[in-house]
Amino acid sequence: MVQFANVIVYSYQYLLDPKVAGIISKELPKESVVVFDEAHNIDNVCIEALSVSVRRQTLEGATRNLNRISQEIDRFKATDAGRLRAEYNRLIEGLALRGNLPTTDIWLANPALPDDILKEAVPGNIRRAEHFLHVLRRLVQYLRGRLETENVEKESPVGFLVSINNHAGIDQKTLKFCYDRLHSLMLTLEITDTDEFLHIQTICDFATLIGTYARGFSIIIEPFDERMPHIPDPVLQLCCHDASLAIKPVFDRFQSVVITSGTLSPIDLYPRLLNFHPVVSRSFTMSLTRDCICPMVLTRGSDQLPVSTKFDMRSDPGVVRNYGKLLLELVSVVPDGIVCFFVSYSYMDGIINAWNDHGILKDIMQHKLVFIETQDVVETTLALDNYRRACDCGRGAVFFSVARGKVAEGIDFDRHYGRLVIMFGVPFQYTLSKILLARLEYLRDNFQIKEGDFLTFDALRQAAQCVGRVIRSKADYGMMIFADKRYIFPNSFSITLTSKILNSLIKG
Amino acid sequence: MSGSHSQLAKKAKYKTTIKDPGTPGMLRMTLEKFMFTPQNPKSANKVDMEFRFIKGQKHTKEDPTKEKPPPALLNLTDRQGGSYIFQFDNFSDLQHCRDFVGKVLSKSGEVSERPTVTCADEQLSTAEMELRMKLLQEDSELQKLHRQFVIGGILTEAEFWATRKKLLDREASKKAKQRVGFKSAMLSDIKGSSDGRTNKVTFSLTPEIILQIFAEKPAVHRAFLSFVPNKMSEKDFWTKYFKAEVLHSTKNAVAVAAEAAEDEDLAVFLKRDVILENEARRKIRRVDPTVDMEADEGDDYTHLPDHGIVREGSKEVTESQQELYRRNLSQDINRHAAVVLEGRAVDVELEDTRAIAEALSRSKQVNGESDKDSNQEKLDRISRMTEIEDLHNSHDLPLAPLCIKDPRDYFDSQQANALRSSGDLLPGNEQIKCNLSTHEAYGSLRDSISAIKRGGLKDPIVKPEIAFQVFDALTHSISTTKYNIGRNPQESILDTLPKKTKEELLHHWTSIIELLRHFWSSYPLTTTYLYNKVSKLKDAMSQIYRQLEDIKGTVQADFRHQVSLLVRPMHQALDAAIQHYESDMQKRSAKSGERPNGHT
Repeated sequence: MVQFANVIVYSYQYLLDPKVAGIISKELPKESVVVFDEAHNIDNVCIEALSVSVRRQTLEGATRNLNRISQEIDRFKATDAGRLRAEYNRLIEGLALRGNLPTTDIWLANPALPDDILKEAVPGNIRRAEHFLHVLRRLVQYLRGRLETENVEKESPVGFLVSINNHAGIDQKTLKFCYDRLHSLMLTLEITDTDEFLHIQTICDFATLIGTYARGFSIIIEPFDERMPHIPDPVLQLCCHDASLAIKPVFDRFQSVVITSGTLSPIDLYPRLLNFHPVVSRSFTMSLTRDCICPMVLTRGSDQLPVSTKFDMRSDPGVVRNYGKLLLELVSVVPDGIVCFFVSYSYMDGIINAWNDHGILKDIMQHKLVFIETQDVVETTLALDNYRRACDCGRGAVFFSVARGKVAEGIDFDRHYGRLVIMFGVPFQYTLSKILLARLEYLRDNFQIKEGDFLTFDALRQAAQCVGRVIRSKADYGMMIFADKRYIFPNSFSITLTSKILNSLIKG
Repeated sequence: MSGSHSQLAKKAKYKTTIKDPGTPGMLRMTLEKFMFTPQNPKSANKVDMEFRFIKGQKHTKEDPTKEKPPPALLNLTDRQGGSYIFQFDNFSDLQHCRDFVGKVLSKSGEVSERPTVTCADEQLSTAEMELRMKLLQEDSELQKLHRQFVIGGILTEAEFWATRKKLLDREASKKAKQRVGFKSAMLSDIKGSSDGRTNKVTFSLTPEIILQIFAEKPAVHRAFLSFVPNKMSEKDFWTKYFKAEVLHSTKNAVAVAAEAAEDEDLAVFLKRDVILENEARRKIRRVDPTVDMEADEGDDYTHLPDHGIVREGSKEVTESQQELYRRNLSQDINRHAAVVLEGRAVDVELEDTRAIAEALSRSKQVNGESDKDSNQEKLDRISRMTEIEDLHNSHDLPLAPLCIKDPRDYFDSQQANALRSSGDLLPGNEQIKCNLSTHEAYGSLRDSISAIKRGGLKDPIVKPEIAFQVFDALTHSISTTKYNIGRNPQESILDTLPKKTKEELLHHWTSIIELLRHFWSSYPLTTTYLYNKVSKLKDAMSQIYRQLEDIKGTVQADFRHQVSLLVRPMHQALDAAIQHYESDMQKRSAKSGERPNGHT
């Protein structure tokens, strides 16, 4: 299908994620024009594509997968030993000749892998299927050992490689080939239910990434979630800090790449994040025939106390009450749909519970029905559908949503579905997260981007994304409220950024 | 014959009105009906009426003191207010008939005493009756019309309402649709009252709340149906339910799980609602495709385990055992809002809990059946939502939209037409000039030129009187009505008239519309009934015609012109109807020559 189509519309991952791009996008010609629309989050997508997290369940699943594979191998040995031998011979000649892929396309299948990996012969210690399995078992065992840690650990890929080599006896080159070796093995064993083998695939993915990239990554092991220290939930994360790694193959391969979005501001930050030199870079302002939006910044509640979701203020009952009062007053006067964005699920849960206890929620329900985005997609979809019905029939409704959530990214609240949007707080990332800290450090060291700048940029693009949901056409109109004192204080927000955001809001 | 108890026959004259000289013939009465057969078989005044439509009777009294005895009249009035007047030769005949009618009417007493209005074919329900009464009360104009025509006997009740079916339907449907919905308040707002000293909390339940609980929590609903009253009493059931609620409100999943393990009945309330989840699966198929995030979840494989970075919030740290008992306020709120939005499906008197539960499950079954259409519905929705406006032809058809805001606008436009035609008839200078031949005009021009040559230009070129006359003629229409309209387009000519005249005119106009509607809808005259109706209508119309003439005559001189302009279209409409009536009559009488007693 891909060869015959003139226009292909699909998710970023099909092009950026090496695992998927190899299957889907390998046949695109060089002359194709690639357009990343709504690309304000493209750096995050790139980073996601090259990040892997490993949990206890992953390791358990991987062990199960390995057992299953070894059974399959035994079966094949008994019935069709020739197949395994043929695969072995193929592997000697290098991955380039693997399977029946034409050699010209091979690069496309592995956009994120350096060229040399494809031409090299697969190391001898994993050519035989049983040997490869042993390597994987050792790797899983090693990772399990690492997960048992009591403290938060942060390591660079290089250090991790050395450690693996010492403890499990697996060298970097072997790790590098893991993903493709597994792929090849599964093809040979004619395993069709690949969904069942996600866990071992994750492990191999992890191994290949670690073996391939020496910089731009770090490995973070957390024994528990900081917010719930009493529940042990160890997780080992390989996190990518460099968005340019995933998008580099795309820039290399295609003649024209267009990155566009309504909220690409500041526009000069993106080339730095993605490490490319734009040929043309333009911002357009949108012409409006009338004042169809009314952006407002609210810094103080009805009792004149400042409101904010700053970490030290967010649980203050006064702030919670002020936010509640604000919403209550607005639901009584704004017609049709109102959308509220909160900075996170946990904050939203907390504030809803508090409003419920104080009876504010009940008062809100006197005016409009309340629907809430939850982490359950089905439930959220139903809630959205009901929200629309309520707006359609004139009952009016309030939708509580989360910045960075799926609703904020993908659902429009145009026309009567959104006459007012309230952004409660500034949607900063969770700044205590080890991953974010590691990424900030990397950005500072390698791209000279200050931590504060990046965080502000990230928070504001999310806020703009949220409030931009309500204006989808020139004929539309709506009101936007940013309820946080930090929206006007220049000490934490550069004024230029804010004004740029307000400009880009109009483009929304 | 006259001695018979079951029937009676007398010579009489049938009169349509008191002044009518009457048609001589024979009046027969039986227990069921009375018939009048005219002597002259050609006469149209044949009556065949059943007694059940007769409301009462009136008759003249014998007054021997007077020199000339009054005519012996018997007036039978029917329920529509119509009357049948019979004149008898002598009073003894009248008395016989009167007694007979009295007997028959008293027999069907319950019918005659009931003040309801019945029409030929249908017996009206009280509800419909009330609806009509209400409509009449609300609309004074309608009431006026009703009084004038129905009580006046020109139209029957059924005929009058037949043309207003829409009004009745709308009124009826309005009533049916309005239903009390659920309250917006959440269930969790049912706060128990504790006495403060002991650990006891008292909840008070109303059927309203119970219905809401059942609707929002299908598991409780199902449990009620299966447990009560076989396994436990209703009181125990609700005690358990609220125990579960209180447990939940402590927000301690571990404690909840422990309690549930001890008491399996209690566990029913504590576990997550499985039915709800199944229902969600079913409902998701009919959601708006543009918000269906579940559908494209497959595309976005980042939801797969172990992929990408663990972001804040996307972490689910719970053990499966306790997960079963964890409940989320957001879920409750969503569920509540959905139920409120769906509205109340149950229409039972809220008394018995059991009845409520059963009714709810019935209504759910109905919903389940309607799911079969859900596929079609979804397709419709998709096509509606994915329609791209730019790619479509514009929807407007090559027709001018019909837009009648105010019937008075019609008057005004008629006015302008009338003015135009009346302007033509005005005797004026231009009229005269038009009649001049070219030769004469040329002569006159030459005369005036030579006159100017001779005497030069006089000071006033045109004599003031002549100029005024010309000006007056030219601006005749503009200066009066046109001027009024032009000055204030909102102001109709009607508003310039005295209030009384205006009201009369408007009333006549509505009456004429009503009459004409019935009149034209009666053609072609296929039955006697229609024939009678039309003749009644015609009488009424000619009466209005005369009344309009009267208005024209009595109105002040200033307004006479306007009034006559207003009245003209009404007269024209009436003329057309009457003309049609007469030509039809002529055709009929021509036919009836060959076929005696043609259509009757």
